[in-house]
Amino acid sequence: MDANLPFIVAAYAIVWGSLAAYAISLRVRR
Amino acid sequence: MTTTAFPHVLSVRIRPLLGLASVATALIATAMALIWAPPDAVQGQVQRVMYVHVPSAWTAYLAFIVVFLASVGWLWTKRPAFDAIAVASAEIGVLFTALALVAGSIWAKPTWGVWWTWEPRLITTAVMFVMYVGYLLLRSLSSDLEGRATRAAVIGIVAVVNVPIVHLSVTWMDALHQLPSVLRPGGPALDDRMLATLIAGVVAFTVLYAWLMVARTALERARQERVLRARDA
Repeated sequence: MDANLPFIVAAYAIVWGSLAAYAISLRVRR
Repeated sequence: MTTTAFPHVLSVRIRPLLGLASVATALIATAMALIWAPPDAVQGQVQRVMYVHVPSAWTAYLAFIVVFLASVGWLWTKRPAFDAIAVASAEIGVLFTALALVAGSIWAKPTWGVWWTWEPRLITTAVMFVMYVGYLLLRSLSSDLEGRATRAAVIGIVAVVNVPIVHLSVTWMDALHQLPSVLRPGGPALDDRMLATLIAGVVAFTVLYAWLMVARTALERARQERVLRARDA
């Protein structure tokens, strides 16, 4: 397994996680 | 009070379609980035961070260009819709800039050996981020719709200068950040599959930007309408 796997996982999780959280926030904000 | 209502067709017809398209293109782009694209000859697997880092940065550029255009639109016509588009795009642009910085930092650690370094691309991107955070803070200082929109529009027009500065910063001085490999004289210098994957990422981020924009602009329009209604009452 690639030694840099944690970096790849962290980058994808943070980017897509943040975007999903923002999209959800737009549904609940008034 | 239908004068400030958000175009019905956008919120009812296009919004769900954009949401669906966002999820679909995000899944396709992520599969291409993590599975289909080849590992980099020098960096190996970790180069795959590029497929979220670069589209984040490009979407931030797009968002700030939209802020600029909407700011000109507000000053020109004084139609509140332009101000709503400007604030929506600025907020989303700040988010994408933050993500480009964070993903870039995560990519920098295994490749450059540091999370952060003071070199032209990183400094100019940080300045761009802070300026648009300032734009949002300035807006929150006042609830006077017209005055706030005009002050914000001036910043929105001036701050767009950050976009070419950030993009060209890598060609100045001894940059550690790599030079443009797609938008450069002579065309893209990238493996075909890597280029296709990067384009898929840019498409996915752009569709997502459009979806977020429709939702965030609708939110701002509803806020404007409440302020105007309270004023009339």
